[in-house]
Amino acid sequence: MIIHILNGFVYGGLLYLVAIGLVLIFGIRQVVNFAHGSLFMLGAYVGYAATAIAGFWAGVVAATLVLAILGLLLDRAVFRPLQDQDPIVTLLVTFGLLLVIEDLVRTVWGKDTLTIAMPDLLSGTLRIAGEDFPVYRLFVILVAAGMGAGLTLWLKRSRIGLYVRAFASDPLTTGTQGVDTERVSAAVVALGAGFAGLAGIIAGPLLALSPAMGGSILIESFIVVVVGGFGSFSGAFVAALVIGQLQNLGIVFIPSFSTMIPFLLMMLILLWRPLGLTGRAA
Amino acid sequence: MTSPATLTATAPARPARAPGSVLALVVLGTGCLLPFAGASPLLLSLLVQAIIGAMLATGVGFLVRQNGMVSFGHALFFGLGGYVLGVPMAHGLLPPEMAVLLALLVPALLAFLLGLVITRIPGVAFSMLSLACAQTFYEVVLKVRTLANGDDGMSVTFPARLFGLDVGLLQDPRSMYLICWVLLAAVLVGLWLFTRSPYGLLTLAIRSNEERARFIGYETVVPRAAVYALSAGVAGLAGVLATFYNGFISPDMMHWTLSGSALVMAVIGGTRAVWGPALGAVVFFFFKEIVGDATEHWPAVIGITLIVVTLCAPAGLSGLLARLFARRAA
Repeated sequence: MIIHILNGFVYGGLLYLVAIGLVLIFGIRQVVNFAHGSLFMLGAYVGYAATAIAGFWAGVVAATLVLAILGLLLDRAVFRPLQDQDPIVTLLVTFGLLLVIEDLVRTVWGKDTLTIAMPDLLSGTLRIAGEDFPVYRLFVILVAAGMGAGLTLWLKRSRIGLYVRAFASDPLTTGTQGVDTERVSAAVVALGAGFAGLAGIIAGPLLALSPAMGGSILIESFIVVVVGGFGSFSGAFVAALVIGQLQNLGIVFIPSFSTMIPFLLMMLILLWRPLGLTGRAA
Repeated sequence: MTSPATLTATAPARPARAPGSVLALVVLGTGCLLPFAGASPLLLSLLVQAIIGAMLATGVGFLVRQNGMVSFGHALFFGLGGYVLGVPMAHGLLPPEMAVLLALLVPALLAFLLGLVITRIPGVAFSMLSLACAQTFYEVVLKVRTLANGDDGMSVTFPARLFGLDVGLLQDPRSMYLICWVLLAAVLVGLWLFTRSPYGLLTLAIRSNEERARFIGYETVVPRAAVYALSAGVAGLAGVLATFYNGFISPDMMHWTLSGSALVMAVIGGTRAVWGPALGAVVFFFFKEIVGDATEHWPAVIGITLIVVTLCAPAGLSGLLARLFARRAA
């Protein structure tokens, strides 16, 4: 049982890394990035390429950095010019980007699934409660937890973090207080994209890489964001852990209907609290 | 070409929408003549697929027009129409006629129930939810093999006659083309009439300001769910037609790439006019036939087209046409 719960944390952790990027971008730009799953997928592929050249750890660094830079470009080229438009416009444009990125990856790396080898350092198993558990999975949990703690500290303690939180509650007032909107949001989008890239590469050794791999994690991150309450950092954290657990237990006990569980949970929560767990009016 | 002078002379005499309905009748009539004008079965078969796509896009576009909601999950209702028709047919669970009726009703009914929950959520969040709903059902039909062979899909055979009608008519490109064409026209006229009815106007009022509509004293959740159900019903009808014509159902019918394509068709056609998405779908379809052969990068082509249309011509093709006509009439 404890193994199942740990596996739930592995998936929940990955989900958190992807969903928190969506939440960060939503908080600052009030838009939903439909291409976020593609950034996760791209992170895995960039990591794959870098791993082949210089090993797994270089892959982790490369995937995170390359995706963060892409995030900067995305903010400059898409979110910033479209900030005065209806959020639906940005949504359609990012959906268009999703199609382009998937096609690009398919062209460069092909349709077939690829795998990333686990680093030797983490390839063993550990005995937990009488059962073997792969060290690598523990590593994923630790990375997600570390990133979550780091992000929370950054948001709570740093000056930019303060700006980010101020933005998420009232962008207009924050802007009139003299905060450089564009710089803060560029940094935040880069951070969100970098998280997606990091999640992609560390998920690499656990999943098969395919151009379509961003789809299901995008959809579950959406559920996480909606259940957590739009734009709420702590809500997304709780929701990612809960949905990660439910999803994993579902796969173990009722495999055919496992995706039904997060969905039903989402419906129940929306009936109970239409704005999500930590919901506040948009 | 008529000279500008005659146009200005005749324009004020006619009621404003008369040219529109004349044009619509001409298009409908010309379409009906196509199979008799020597169009090849191959072309007709393509057109059947295009019209079915047009119907799906019409459902998606209608939701945007009437509710202001962008659905990324209409393939759910398209596929549901197919599965509710095909699965009982193959397993002999229900009388065939009953399966047909259910296949037409269940998508709208499910949408209504879902809509009571998710149409309360505005804007982009609705888009995310619609996608999540659709993908959940997709995973189920993908994984439950007893339903319709899971991933592989299943071919469906129909009894020779349904409701006293020869089912072969629904599988021959010529007759099926006519049936689809007339049904599409009927759907468009029906939706157009809905938009002009008091209830249709109420939904537009809710779309533009939900709070105000509520303060005037209207209940605002049920009308939105009803529009969602209507648009899902149209998508379900498209799924039923596709299942009859192809004799095959598979999880691809529910996959979100289909929802995405339908949305792209609707955006290309423009959703301000009820008929815009259908036009967009037909253009999309033939564009795909031309470009799809020439390049393997069809998704990227569509992605770029979507971005360009969204940014440069948000009213889509129908908007461009309407502006063209307005300028000529002025």
